[in-house]
Parts: sequence; C-alpha cells; structure tokens
Amino acid sequence: MSKSKFSGIVLFGLVVTLSLVTLPGLSEARNIKVGIVDTYSGPPAVYGNDALNGFKLALEEINKQGVLGGKIEFTTRDEKFKVDVALAMAKELVMRENVDLLVGTINSGASLAISDGVAKAEKVPFIVWTAKDEKITGELGHRYVFSTAENTAMAGKAGGVGLAKKPYKKYWIAGDDYSYGHAIADAAWRNLKALKPDVEKIGESWWKIGEPDLVPYLTSISAAKPDAVIFCTGGASMTNCLKALKATGFAAKIPSWIHTAIDHAVLKPLGAEAPENVTGTIQYLFYYPETPENKAFVQAFEKAYGNPPGFPAFNAYITAQLIAEAYKKAGKIDKEKFIDAIEGLKVKGPTGSMVEMRACDHQAVYPMYFGTTKKHPQQDYVIATDILTLSGNEVMPTCDEVLKTRKK
Amino acid sequence: MAFDLSAIGSQFLVGLSRSMILFIVTAGLSFVLGVLRVPNIAHGSLYMIGAFSAFSITKLVPGAEGFWLALVLAPLVVAAVSFIAERALFCHLYQREHLMLLLFTFALSLILGDLVKITWGAEYKSIMAPKLFDGSVSIFGASIPKYNFFLLLIGPLVAVGLWLFTSKTKLGKIARAAAVDREMVGAVGINVSWVFAFAFVFGCFMAGLGGALMAPTISITLGMDHNLIIEGFLIVTIGGLGNMWGALVGSLIFGLTQAFGVLFWPQFAIVFPYTAVVIVLLLRPRGILKSVW
Repeated sequence: MSKSKFSGIVLFGLVVTLSLVTLPGLSEARNIKVGIVDTYSGPPAVYGNDALNGFKLALEEINKQGVLGGKIEFTTRDEKFKVDVALAMAKELVMRENVDLLVGTINSGASLAISDGVAKAEKVPFIVWTAKDEKITGELGHRYVFSTAENTAMAGKAGGVGLAKKPYKKYWIAGDDYSYGHAIADAAWRNLKALKPDVEKIGESWWKIGEPDLVPYLTSISAAKPDAVIFCTGGASMTNCLKALKATGFAAKIPSWIHTAIDHAVLKPLGAEAPENVTGTIQYLFYYPETPENKAFVQAFEKAYGNPPGFPAFNAYITAQLIAEAYKKAGKIDKEKFIDAIEGLKVKGPTGSMVEMRACDHQAVYPMYFGTTKKHPQQDYVIATDILTLSGNEVMPTCDEVLKTRKK
Repeated sequence: MAFDLSAIGSQFLVGLSRSMILFIVTAGLSFVLGVLRVPNIAHGSLYMIGAFSAFSITKLVPGAEGFWLALVLAPLVVAAVSFIAERALFCHLYQREHLMLLLFTFALSLILGDLVKITWGAEYKSIMAPKLFDGSVSIFGASIPKYNFFLLLIGPLVAVGLWLFTSKTKLGKIARAAAVDREMVGAVGINVSWVFAFAFVFGCFMAGLGGALMAPTISITLGMDHNLIIEGFLIVTIGGLGNMWGALVGSLIFGLTQAFGVLFWPQFAIVFPYTAVVIVLLLRPRGILKSVW
C-alpha cells in the first residue's frame, strides 16, 4: 500500500468517526423550525400581523431558555387569503424548508386545504390559530391537525349559553350569507334551544358578505318586533352592521348578540360611533380579567408593538407555549412524539388561566367572555362591560358530540 | 308574517335613500360610458378613493366642518386622480375595442386598489356624520337614520344639477352631443380630446362624491369597490347604457327591490334585485330608457 493511499484511508476513517461523534450531538441541539402560512396583505392582514406579534413575543421568552438545547425559529409565507396559494406555500415549507410543523391561517378554506393536503398527507403537525370553521377539528379533524382558535361551534355555544341566561323569548336571526354566518347561527340556535326550549325563532334574514347598506335589513327586522336578535356577521360587514345598529337606533331598542362584537379591533376604529347595548363574545380582552399575568402580557405587547394585543395574539401566544412545552415533553424533535406530547397538554395562558389542548379532538379549551358594549368613561371608544366568564367546558361541545360528526 | 303599511312605508324610504347613492355613483359611470364608450371598471376604485379621502379630510379637520369639507374636497381628489389617469393613459386608448378597455380598466382598478392600500393601509376606517345627523327619526313606526333623509335630499339635488348641466350649459350640450356622434362634434371644430378629458373627470368626480357621501354609513375598506362596481354595471345596463336618467331608473329599481325583498322574503333578499335585472333585460334587452350605444 502506497503512503498516499494509506493516509487517504486514515483521513476517511477520521472523517467517518468524527461525523459519527459530532452529528448526533448537532442534530439534538438543532433549532425547531415552524412554518407559518397566514394572510399578510389585504384587510385580514390586521389579524395575521396581530397573531405573528403574539407568537414573536412568546418566542422571545421561550428562546431565552431554549427548547431541547436549541431555539424555536420560524419562517412566514403570505397566502393572500387564497386557498390555492396557501396550499402551495404549505407544501413548499414542508418539502423545501423542511419545517417541523406548520402554523396558520386566518382563512378557514385554506386551513382545511392544508389540513387535508399537507398535514394529513405528509404527516406533519399543523396548528390552526385564527380560522374559526368548526370542521377543522370537528368533522374533518385527524391526528395531524390542531386548533388554538375558538371555532364556530364554541362561539355559537358561548352565545347560546350566554343568551339562555337572558329573559328573551322571540328571536330573529340575521347574518352574512356564507359558511361562517350560517355555522354561528346554527350553533347558537341549537344550544339556546337546548338550554331554553321555549325560545321561538320568528324569522331570518341573510345578506351578501360585505353588504354596505344594512339599514333596510334592520328596519324590516324591527318591524317584526323580536325580543332579541342573533347577528352572525364578521369582517367588513361587522363594522357596517354596528354602524347601522347605532344609526337606526336599533341597538338602543332591541338587544342583540354578535360574536366578536366586543373585539377591541372592531370597536376602536369606530370610536364613539360604536353602538352601546350590543352583546358579544370573545376569548380574549386586553382589559379583562385584570390579573397580574394579563397586565404584564399587555404591557410587554404594547411596549413591543405599540398597541394592545387582540384575540389572534392570544391564540398565537398559547400556540407558541404549547409548541415549546410539547417538544420539552417529547424529549426530541420528532413529529409523532410531538403529537403524543401535545395531546392533553396544559399551559398557563397570558391571562393566567389554564389552556388545555384537548386530546380527543385537538381543540384548545379556554374560557370565553360574554359582555355588553358600553362607552368607556375616559376614552373615546366603546368597551365590553358586565362581563360574564363562561368556562372552557361550558362553551365546548363534548368529545362525544365532536367525534360523532367525524363518524358521519 | 303580516306586513303593515308602516313597515312598507319605512322600507320604501330606506330603499329610496340607498337608490340615491347608487344613482350618484352610476350617473358618473353612465356618463363615461355614454360620452367615451369606456366601460370603466375602475369607477368602483374611484368611489373607494373618494371614501378614503373623506376619511383623511375628516381626520385633518375634525367635527362637522371636516365632513362638509370632505364632501367637497374628496370628489376633487378623485377628479385629480382621474385627470392624471385620463391624460396619461385613457386618452391614448379610446379607439381600442371594448374588450381591451374592459381589461385595461380592470387592471387599473387593481392598481388603484393597491395604491389605496399603500396610502391608507389595510385596516378598516370609519368616519362620523356630523352631530346634526346623529340618531334616527321615527317614521311609519320604524326608526330611520337622519343621515338617510339627508341622502334623500341630496339625490334629487344632484339629479337636477345634472339635468341643468347637460341641457343648459354649452359644455354639457357638447358632452351630450359627443355621446351621440363624436365625429360630428370633432367636425364642427371642437377639441374632442378635451371634451373627453372633461367628461371622464366629471364622471369620476361623481364616483368620488358617492364615496364621500356613503363613507359615514359604512366601514371604509379595501374591497368596497368590487361590491359596488358589479351593481353599478347592472344598473346602467338595465337603465340603458350611457343614459343618465336610465341610471336613475336603474338605481330606483335596484334599491327598492332590495329593500322590499328584505321585507317580504328576508332569507332570499339577495336574489331580488338580480331577479329584477333579469326580468328587465328579458323584456327590454337594451335597457328601459334609450341606450346611446
């Protein structure tokens, strides 16, 4: 054997030995890669950015100590509120960026598409943090999809539970004529009727999404003289609806419930134009409950981003906490182990109350707040008052109810 | 469900006030269609710019003065934007076929939409009507916002103003003549290019006025242009392309069928105005009034 050949073999042996010694160590200490697909352009960007800020704030804290010797890093993709774009980006994140898990989005259609086309197909965990379609963890749920967002079933049930405590009998239902509106309406009515069988639905009206002028709808509803109205609206229609409720004097005369009507992101731009006496539900308010944890969270968030956190920031914050804790529990970066670890995991949310990732359907469980709008005594905007806290178990459909929809 | 006369009366009034806004916006659209033969999809974007400009003006000048100032200045902002667009782009394209113009104005509407996003951001905006229009008036047993009465007043005023302008002023007459026969207008020595520029800017001014008037009743948001432009084209089509009075008739049909649809069959109210459009077009394929096309 020539000298050069010998030294070649020695060198090769050295490289192999070195890599065997060092590589496992390197892989153990590597960073956890989160791929975020969400809307960062167009009107829904407000929610996308709020969620991202909540996530970043949580990671700052988490990465100080690190997870499994590394950090949690993320990369974002703007799906422009389009299902096909979202799907392509989720695939790209998994195939090319090799992310360990996916997170997003505000678009229910996009979330369902990623859930089926990427999470289930490629066996990659996917946590939905803003989209509200109950099918995500309900009828179309599976091992690889999770949700930290409150969904239409929870929202509707919260409305039903809250309204059942009120004396109203004759209801009118009105809303945006698309899946979100109808899903909220169905869930609210089903739960209200179950809790209070003597309620009566005297009529329904549905308008197209973004309908600018809701006054004709309100005048015709008030002609029917209901005791209360369940409005099922969101997005741009929500603001139109609140403005019309105020301008027609409807809100002062007829009580109404609109899910997320007490959301600060909705009420603040309206200022003094927002109506009083409208009841709404939401999972997060930056001014309630006044726990030290919530105050600290709001302070840190305002310091970093200049405005108080909204519900997407809350959802994203608990998403980050769940991810970090699940990896710590799993002990290694492994997709299946991560799922086993996150099932049933409990973390302390930003308000100080516990949040659980329910094992049976992968839906996060947390309380909801049911409050009525009233002008802020000092500020020039409207806030929620007379807040009722509905516990997580009160507003969640039971495991049996959810799993029954999956068997259909 | 029983319908008393009071409910019908109040629906009639709110439908009428909605028709007035539609009329102001579509009168401009129809004017541009008539004189320039341009199916301007970007008309909706100009309406949106009118609303956003009104927002900025009311932010700079708070209170009632801001609102009145916005009603005057916001349409002028839109007129300025449209003047630039006309001189830089449209004036070179009038001879192109309609499909090209349709695609071009569609592209322009996307560009304007993005410009609005860059200028004002993606968040919802909202402005308040002056205290004068705060609250509602109880009429026929229903509460109708005071602002809607203001719209009921503005609509006929605009209609009369348009009539005076197009039939009593020289410029108006020239514009009308250009709508019917543009070669003839050129042949008698009138600078058609500037007539077209004026007609375009005037039509867009109306879009801006509609946007500013509508602003206090809605959330000012990206996407409000698309909502309006589809209805706008349907209205000018059933009224008679390019006929301003057709825009009035079309707006009344659209606004009133919507309001009564909501009352009589609320689950399917969305369908009513569109059904009315189908019926009108089946009976009169070229629109109710004389089309200038």
